[in-house]
Amino acid sequence: MPPPDDPPSTPTRTSIIDSLGVEIVGVMSPVSICMLLVVLILTSLSSSSTTSTSSPPPVTAATLIYVESDSDSPSHKLLGAVLDAAAFVALIAAATFVLVLLYYYNFTSFLKNYLRFSVFFVLFSMGGSIMASLLQHFSIPLDAPTSIILLLNFAILGVLSVFSPAVPILLRQSYMVSVAVIVAVWFARLPEWTTWVLLIALALYDLAAVLCPHGPLRILVELASSREEELPALVYEARPTDSSHPVSAPVSSPVASLGSVEMQPVSETSNSNSNSVDEEERSPLVSSPPVVRENLSNFNHEQTRESHNSNHAVVEMETGESETLPLVEREGHRSSSNSDSEFEMFDSTRGIRLGLGDFVFYSVLVGRAAMYDLMTVYACYLAIISGLGCTLILLSVFRHALPALPISITLGVIFYFLTRLLMEPFVVGASTNLVMF
Amino acid sequence: MTVASGVGYVLIALGPAFSLFASVIAKKPFLILTLLSSTLFWLMSLIVLAGAWRAFLPVKSTELWPYSILILTSVGFQEGIRIGFWRLFKKMEDMLNAFADRVSKPRLFLTDKMLLALAGGLGHGLAHAVFFCLSLLTPAFGPATFYVDKCSNIPFFLISAIIALGFVIIHTFSMVIAFNGYTEGKRKDQIFVPFAHLIAAVITLINLVPGGCNVGLPLLCIMAGTTLYYSWQLVWRRLTEHQTTRSSD
Repeated sequence: MPPPDDPPSTPTRTSIIDSLGVEIVGVMSPVSICMLLVVLILTSLSSSSTTSTSSPPPVTAATLIYVESDSDSPSHKLLGAVLDAAAFVALIAAATFVLVLLYYYNFTSFLKNYLRFSVFFVLFSMGGSIMASLLQHFSIPLDAPTSIILLLNFAILGVLSVFSPAVPILLRQSYMVSVAVIVAVWFARLPEWTTWVLLIALALYDLAAVLCPHGPLRILVELASSREEELPALVYEARPTDSSHPVSAPVSSPVASLGSVEMQPVSETSNSNSNSVDEEERSPLVSSPPVVRENLSNFNHEQTRESHNSNHAVVEMETGESETLPLVEREGHRSSSNSDSEFEMFDSTRGIRLGLGDFVFYSVLVGRAAMYDLMTVYACYLAIISGLGCTLILLSVFRHALPALPISITLGVIFYFLTRLLMEPFVVGASTNLVMF
Repeated sequence: MTVASGVGYVLIALGPAFSLFASVIAKKPFLILTLLSSTLFWLMSLIVLAGAWRAFLPVKSTELWPYSILILTSVGFQEGIRIGFWRLFKKMEDMLNAFADRVSKPRLFLTDKMLLALAGGLGHGLAHAVFFCLSLLTPAFGPATFYVDKCSNIPFFLISAIIALGFVIIHTFSMVIAFNGYTEGKRKDQIFVPFAHLIAAVITLINLVPGGCNVGLPLLCIMAGTTLYYSWQLVWRRLTEHQTTRSSD
């Protein structure tokens, strides 16, 4: 008789499903939170701003050619929307090329300061106007000087947290999500046809810019990886809580709006984890800070969770960016060095990174769906999340830069129109008669 | 009637689902992914059904038979899809076991498989509650409430919240029963699930009759309770059997 196995069904047994999929969920939760916040803000503001819908939409880069008004015919609207989208995409492409040029000629401090300014501007000015409308809508008793001081603090802390490696990762992630929420709320004010055509056009542009040999983003990624540097950008980084198997491939999707890039300072911290330095002397870049080697140790010791966890906290704190990982050549990753202009997603040993533009445009799609009905919101949310999951799976298969927008946006648009045209009459008709299944 | 009642209706419909999520599913990311994919699956089946029925809408609510055909076809389709879902689940199980062998960790335990079934069922239930109840709840956050002609003593939102609650329970636990039934090959379990779903859906047909919801709602709750009880017995039996086979080695 064979000896008895381990003690039966003790809660200490770990199973593989305990930790599988942590990175994916780590990316999906901020995306979900961002979408939820955008939907909440839009629904609460739209109920209060019924009078302001009569005012013309702001003249933005996306409405340069044609501003939609309700009195035009559908074909006219469609044509105008296509022209608007084409102009916007052209603008984005031009901005990305300028970015490539600046990066090529090493104008790093200019890029860095421009990015800081743009984050401050988004948080203070655009965030301020949203805050003003929210205060007005909910009649919150907050006076002007106090709110300006609070806003200023918020914005300054945001600027500091985005580019400093010494800030806790949770704060950085929160600020990334807030920037994305603010930009998405602003974008969602565009007229309807323009929004949809713009989303589709951006998804196509993304596909082209990342996968075509001469696409600007691909050039950028290759440039950054050939220099073995970190391409500065506004990127959300999902830190894994434990070292999982190294899946690494940059996934990038194009810069949509801000097109700003920053060079992350490479040698930020040097005092961390000297204990692991000895183990992992494999980095080809001897001059890189010990931090970098720490990453390598994390990466290699995927099974030894204890060592990883013990060092992990330090690593997270110190190497705020983790962008400084040129080492992975050895391991056959060409990852981690670059994150593209804003909308790139890839995973390094630290976790998957998703560019802020992806957040913004997913939220714009869901926000636009929210302006119609909540049923479309749920359908689009599910579509986007499943598109994101597919993209992540493809990322682990292909292991190089992939655009994150196309699949999700396509699925989102399809599900929106299917739900609106097909499902809604069916479900609403049944449930208002209290017949459900 | 105000945000408080709106939130209250949401909690009535989704309270047990949220607590299941927070206590069981949120701890394991893989279960969250299973939940999302099963919600998507249910949504797609609903879209297919809606597409098939689009030409016949709107259905007159005064007669019983169009709705009964609608219910029969929808439930039949969804139960057929459940078998397809189970096949996908088997494939995923095989892939997970192969992966477990590769990284030399233990294979899937029985509790894991049941948790996966629970997550799948909760996904279905969540999708039902969201599309049939929550999407109509937006007016409940405003200043008034709404009554349906056929059921004029209970607010519409409350009825749909209670029905959604019943269906959440039915969907969640019938998935557990169904997966166990297909795995073990027990005919009784396999028959119970479509049967329960069909009876529950037919019970909602009673709501078409004026004053019918006073009968329909309690019956639906009884049905949900029956499903819960059945799955409780099944799981208890399975776990104790498994326990005894393990310890009798």
